[in-house]
Amino acid sequence: MRLAFILSEIGSGLRRNLSMVVSVILVTFVSLTFVGAAGMLQMQINQMKGYWYDKVQVAIFLCSEGSTAAGCAGGPVTPEQQESLNGLLESPAVAQYINDFQYESKEEAYKHFKDQFSNSPIVDSVTPDQLPASFRINLKDPEKYQIISETFSSQPGVETVIDQRQLLERLFSVMNGASLVAVSIAGVMIVCAILLIATTIRLSAFSRRRETGIMRLVGASKTVIQLPFILEGVIAAVIGAALASGTLWAVAHFFLGEYMSRQYPDTAFISSGQTLILAPALLILGGSLAGISSLLTLRRYLRV
Amino acid sequence: MPCRVLRAMIRFENVTKVYDQKARPALDSVTLEIDRGEFAFLVGASGSGKSTFLRLVLKEDRATSGAVYVAGQNVARISSWRVPRLRRGIGVVFQDFRLLPQKNVFANVAFAMQVIGKSRSVIRDTVPEVLKTVGLEGKEHRMPHELSGGEQQRVAIARAVVNRPGILLADEPTGNLDPTTSMGIMGILDKINQNGTTVVMATHDDDIVNEMRKRVVELKNGVVIRDEAKALYTSMIPVVGQSRRLKDASGREEPDAGLPGDGREGGAQR
Repeated sequence: MRLAFILSEIGSGLRRNLSMVVSVILVTFVSLTFVGAAGMLQMQINQMKGYWYDKVQVAIFLCSEGSTAAGCAGGPVTPEQQESLNGLLESPAVAQYINDFQYESKEEAYKHFKDQFSNSPIVDSVTPDQLPASFRINLKDPEKYQIISETFSSQPGVETVIDQRQLLERLFSVMNGASLVAVSIAGVMIVCAILLIATTIRLSAFSRRRETGIMRLVGASKTVIQLPFILEGVIAAVIGAALASGTLWAVAHFFLGEYMSRQYPDTAFISSGQTLILAPALLILGGSLAGISSLLTLRRYLRV
Repeated sequence: MPCRVLRAMIRFENVTKVYDQKARPALDSVTLEIDRGEFAFLVGASGSGKSTFLRLVLKEDRATSGAVYVAGQNVARISSWRVPRLRRGIGVVFQDFRLLPQKNVFANVAFAMQVIGKSRSVIRDTVPEVLKTVGLEGKEHRMPHELSGGEQQRVAIARAVVNRPGILLADEPTGNLDPTTSMGIMGILDKINQNGTTVVMATHDDDIVNEMRKRVVELKNGVVIRDEAKALYTSMIPVVGQSRRLKDASGREEPDAGLPGDGREGGAQR
């Protein structure tokens, strides 16, 4: 009976305050979408780290025809230079840091390039001559890149030593930056949501002050008086959180899963299933924010 | 004197209530006892402390000093989560009825039972019974705006007593009603009182007080200046000093009283 009564009170509160309730839903929806987007970016970064860190290598690019680097003053790399580099890589001083390495000739480099940019017109304007040959080294510990770099940059016939991980780090720092932006937008939006929920509950309490006054006089308990208001805020916020979760799932499913993964087939994107991990967190976050802010509001504006 | 405490439904012991440190107290060291089953009028000018008295009984406010006992319990000792239980034992009626405009008569009375978790079947049985007591049978489905003032006050009384409280507090229940309707309301309050409920009614209505001949407690500036059984609105006992002083006060308009004794003048001329 009391439950039915509380439910009907919630229903009438939501109906009376419909426009405010809709705005609470929308604001929590937007703010939690940003929270979730930040979470998704972090998940994506972790996913890519796991995927790429196994594959990325240190590349020692060898001098070719047009190289302008200081080490390439003697023209393109000679077979002897290449041989001595190969020997250096196999020497125990260097080999202890290396899992394995392989030589990539100009032709192989061209083939990889063509694969990677298969749908780009740039392929047609590139010839095998323009691409440098290289040694591809897989380090035991990616952090030891500095040693390889120092050993090989000054060797004759070496144009440059590149840590591909650093290229990725740059990408990751961009993504980290984006997730930071998302978090700060989310923070502002959450403050908005809290204030809006507080205002909504205040209005709701004000528009029902007759009822609550009578409830107080006839001895209704604090729970019976306050619960409908609190649940009103919580329900609106949870609906917003559910919408946010749905949006994130849709982004992962349609944008990443169908569009992006087709555009970048060699990149591991997070699956739409993984975003569902975020949903309970968003629901709990939304619900508890609303609960706490309406509780604090009621303490001030609803005498019991 | 424990037996006296038990017999008293409402008991004030040197109760002082100060709202504003700079102003005079709303109640100034009031000691008063209202027994179980008694009917008492609280009379006095606006600002004399009648409403404060009722608020203290309901624990809407805390006494600044002194103790308020309701049904033998010191209300200051009731923890905040048990205040609802105290209020379930007290019905309240106001001058402005305070009905819920979007609920019909039945729903307005049932509301008082719903919020304390009474079952639907109990509500279905009790509400018509109470509506009959206040003379509203057959009007269950009317909306408040379709009722006369007297009928609305009857609904409010029905709501106040539907949970069978031991005490009924009425704050100028006839203030908005014409004399005939007021008498009807008094009949209902009397009937409720005869069923064993203690009734405390704050009023300005001298006709009613004179008609009913019940106990009259008169407050002035927060002090009890008269407490008589079967009394009239104004004192009939020629206590020379006190009654003289009263008349003087109403004529003179004391600056700290603020309001002149409105109801008093009519009573004094009678």
